[in-house]
Order: sequence, then structure tokens, then C-alpha cells
Amino acid sequence: MIEARELSKLFGGKTAVDGITFSVQPGKVTGFLGPNGAGKSTTMRLIVGLDIPTAGTVSVNGKPYARHRMPLGEVGALLEAKAAHPRRTAYNHLRAMAATEGIPDSRVREVIELTGLGPVARKRVGGFSLGMGQRLGLAAALLGDPQTLILDEPVNGLDPEGVKWVRYLVKGLAAEGRTVFISSHLMSEMALTADHLIVIGRGRILADAPIERVLTGGQQERVLVRTDDADGLAAAVAAAGVDIRREAADELRITGLSARSIAEAALSRGILITGLIPQQETLEDAYLELTGGEVEYQSRPVNDQALPAGEGQST
Amino acid sequence: MSTAAAPAPRSPRTPAGSPVTFGRVLRSEWIKTHTVPSTVILLAVSFAVMVGLGALVAWGLVSLATDEESGPPQGIGQSLQSAAYDVPAAGLPFGQLLIAALAVVLIASEYTTGMIRSTMVAVPTRTPALLAKTLVTAAISFLLGVVAAFTTYFLAQPILSGADLEFGLDAKGVLPSIINTGTVLALIAIMGVGIGALLRNTAGGVVTLVGGLFVLPIIAGLLTGLADWVEDAARFLPSSAASALVATEVQPDQFNQVEGGLILAGWAVVLLAAALIALKKRDI
Repeated sequence: MIEARELSKLFGGKTAVDGITFSVQPGKVTGFLGPNGAGKSTTMRLIVGLDIPTAGTVSVNGKPYARHRMPLGEVGALLEAKAAHPRRTAYNHLRAMAATEGIPDSRVREVIELTGLGPVARKRVGGFSLGMGQRLGLAAALLGDPQTLILDEPVNGLDPEGVKWVRYLVKGLAAEGRTVFISSHLMSEMALTADHLIVIGRGRILADAPIERVLTGGQQERVLVRTDDADGLAAAVAAAGVDIRREAADELRITGLSARSIAEAALSRGILITGLIPQQETLEDAYLELTGGEVEYQSRPVNDQALPAGEGQST
Repeated sequence: MSTAAAPAPRSPRTPAGSPVTFGRVLRSEWIKTHTVPSTVILLAVSFAVMVGLGALVAWGLVSLATDEESGPPQGIGQSLQSAAYDVPAAGLPFGQLLIAALAVVLIASEYTTGMIRSTMVAVPTRTPALLAKTLVTAAISFLLGVVAAFTTYFLAQPILSGADLEFGLDAKGVLPSIINTGTVLALIAIMGVGIGALLRNTAGGVVTLVGGLFVLPIIAGLLTGLADWVEDAARFLPSSAASALVATEVQPDQFNQVEGGLILAGWAVVLLAAALIALKKRDI
């Protein structure tokens, strides 16, 4: 379990993390979602003590990370793909890390096989692709067979198969009762992987809830209605808490009423409805709504091809 | 690339390793040191240069002593013998240059490559990691210095015998000088790790340390005429202290071996302490 209390980090007067309080529970995958520059990586670096908090505290399984006698056995962290000397081989990099806790070479070979690094284990890290670098980072994170995993954008640069594998891996680790904290700026990836979601924007927690509640939480139903008598229908459904917007001469966007209630209202007034389309709130929409203006810039993710089919249908 | 089918079904309560100890951190640092090719290459080059320079000095002494035109300069026989005693440590300046660079590179490259994040995640208390790296680097440097000086000694004897300048290991101050060649390099290595950890930048660290070792004495030499205190202060420079430490004979107006050693150790301790304090206070 990871617990942050009023955790803040300033870099030269610029606030990266702004007094956040949250906890990450064992036994499930907790997604840490936010646009680039929202404070995800800084938060994760604070957890493992690479950055020193300006204020507040963060603990892993009851203690600050640095106080654990077996740090690698407590927490496996993938923080940045580039955390190895380029002239050293993957195998030697892992051996050097393993040596700090006397982790045997057999375990080093095990994580190499587990992460699919076998064919390149004796090659220098400098020649690795981004994807292989990620696999090396994951191998290092798994070395100590830790109770808690902190993975910063683990699917970055992985091929579709690798993305699927990471998803499967983290779910399996969570099912074994481990704490899994995984960051991403990809809503779609979180939708498929995470059980719980913490959304961060400009260093503040915007949402902290089970993923289905982030999806629907605070969102009202929205229905696109086509009718020959738009004015009549608008009058029929008008009520407090119902927002009606005219999209076209024969089209209304009604928020705050279910499709059924609208149909019933139309039926009682004898208004013909030619189209009644519930607007599905996608996770992506919910995310954009939450982060709102806090998105510094938006671009399609590098592993676009890995986006699952069926995501993003908004009509 | 293929991926394994499933995460290894390990019991979460069976730890893969054991608690971090200083010995384990040392072992980790040792693995890190010898698994990067540049370390091994730099050490080999340092050895070759130190031994080569020593042999060259020996050969120079012999040709001076056996100059056929004028014969050995009158009354210089005794000082030639003293100069021969200094041959084993003759390669030290180049050894210092290369070890200074190596030590800075070993720590600063961790910052420039991002390796430091892996290191400090594995050893989050930080201090043991830097101490272990310092110890490994200093030990390697000490061994390099001693082995190079001994090799130079044995290589120089056949050369020196050409002018009857050969000498035994029991000759005055020779054995301490050989051992202290290693001591100087070890202390320089500690200074290098300290500066590298403070500056976190390979080029900046190397320039700073090499400047301190080789440029400061030149500047001090130029300024000597300006004020008396310059010369006094110059004796405390790392380069002067290193010379005093390996001297087979205490020079007039210079510190003796022990004093030189303490001064150089002082530099090393101050820089390492500053690096350790900064390491604890700064973000990685």
C-alpha cells in the first residue's frame, strides 16, 4: 500500500505536485492518469525517494521507501526507460542491481526470460530500442519480486504485443495481492488495465475512484434527439436540471434525462421522434473533461495502433 | 520479440533477496566498475603510460651518467643515484591525470546516463552507494599505482645497471615511495569521485580536477614573486602534497611524506564529505 499525505514538490518555485493525498491499495491495479507535465513522474519519484518532498510525506507499506531494508524486495520501480549505462549489457546491469540485495543470478535470468529480453541480454543497453529499454526497466522492477510495483508509463514504446503483455502482467501481479501503481497519459490503456483510477492535473488530484465511477461519476446522461417538432419537444422536457441545446433545426441535445423519459414525454404530447441516440460518454471524454484546460498539449500516443477497437465511438 | 506467457508464480512472501548491506553494495559497485569497457581500457592505458614513462626516465638518467663526451658531470654521481630512487614513482603525474579522469567518469557518467536512478532506487539511503563507489575506485587506483610502480622498478633495474645506478628495494625511501604511488592515486580517486558527484558532469568534473592538479601549481609558480604567502600556500596544493608523499628524500622547505599524505587526505576528505552532504540533500 502506498500512502501520500499532503505531498508537495516545488522545482525552483514551480509547483509540480501540489499537496496531494491519496492511497494505493493492494490487490488491484491503480491507474495514475494525467496529461504530460501533470506531476505523475514527480509523484512516483517522490515515492521511491529520488526526489525529496518540499512538504508532506509518502510511505510504502507503512514506512518511507528509504527505510526499508530490502528496497528492491519491497518496491519494483520502472521510472524512466533510460536508467542504465549504455555501455553495459542488460545482464550485467541487472546483476549489479541484484547484487545490492544478494539476489541470485538465477533470479536475474528468470526476469530476463519473463520480460522477453533473452535474445538481447548480452548486448549493450545503448543499442536497445525504446521498447527493449522498457522491458529492461520492467525486468529491474521485478528483480526483487516486490510486493509493490510502481510503473511510470510502462507501455511507452512497446509494440502491440508488448502492450498486451504488460496489461496481462500487471493484472496478474495485482491478482496475487500486490499493489500495482501504473501511470499513463492514455485513457484507453487505463480503461483496459486499471481497476481504480487517480487522475492528476497540474499537480492536483482531480479524481480518485473506481474506474467505472470516473467514467460515469458526475456525468449526466446525454441524448441526441431528432424530431420534426423540436420546439414542442423542448417545451415538453423542460425542467430543472435538464439542459437542452439545439444542434440543428430538427435536432436537440438533451442532458439530464434518459432516452426513455424523453420518449415518454414525446409520446404523451404526440410528438414524432425520428432519432433517439444516447451519447455514450467515453473514458476519453471524461478524462478531457476532468483535466480540462490543464492539458499542456495534446497529441496522439506513439502506440496508437495499440488502441483497442471499440474505444472512442461517441455516437 | 517474444514474450513469456505468464508472470512467474512466486509466493509474494518469499523474498528473492536479503537486506542491503555495505558488502553487497560494494559488490554491486565492483560489478558496475568492471562491466563498462572504458574503465578497463583506461586502467590498462594508465598502467602502460606510467611504466613507460618510468622506463624513459631511467634511460634518460643512464644516458646522462654515461655521456661519452664529457663523462658524468663532476659531483653529480650522488644526486643521479637519488634521482634513480625516484624512478618507480616517475609515472605518477600521468597516473594522476588518468585516474582523476577515471574517477570523475565513474560517478558522473551515472548521472549523465541515468544509471544513478537505478543505483539510488536500489540503495535509497544513498550514502552507502557513494561510499562503496569511492572505496572501489580508490582500491583500484591504489592497486594500479603500486603495481605500476613495482613493475617500473623491476623494468628499470636492467636499464639503470648500464650506469651502475641499479638499487635494491631496501634503498632509502624506495619501498615507501612505491607504496605511496598507490596512496596518491587512491586519494586522487577519492577527490575525483567527490568532484564528479558534486558537479554531476563528466567534462566539468575532469576539467575541474585536472585544473586543480596541474594548472594551479603553474599559476602558483607564476605568482610566487608577488608575495611570500603564495609560496607557502602552494605547498598545500594537492600536487605539492602528492610530490611530498612519494618523495624518497624530504626536500628542503617541503613537507615530509606523512605531512604530504595528511594534506592530500584532507583534500580527499573535504571533497568527499561535501559530495555526501550534497547527495543527501539534492534530488537525484
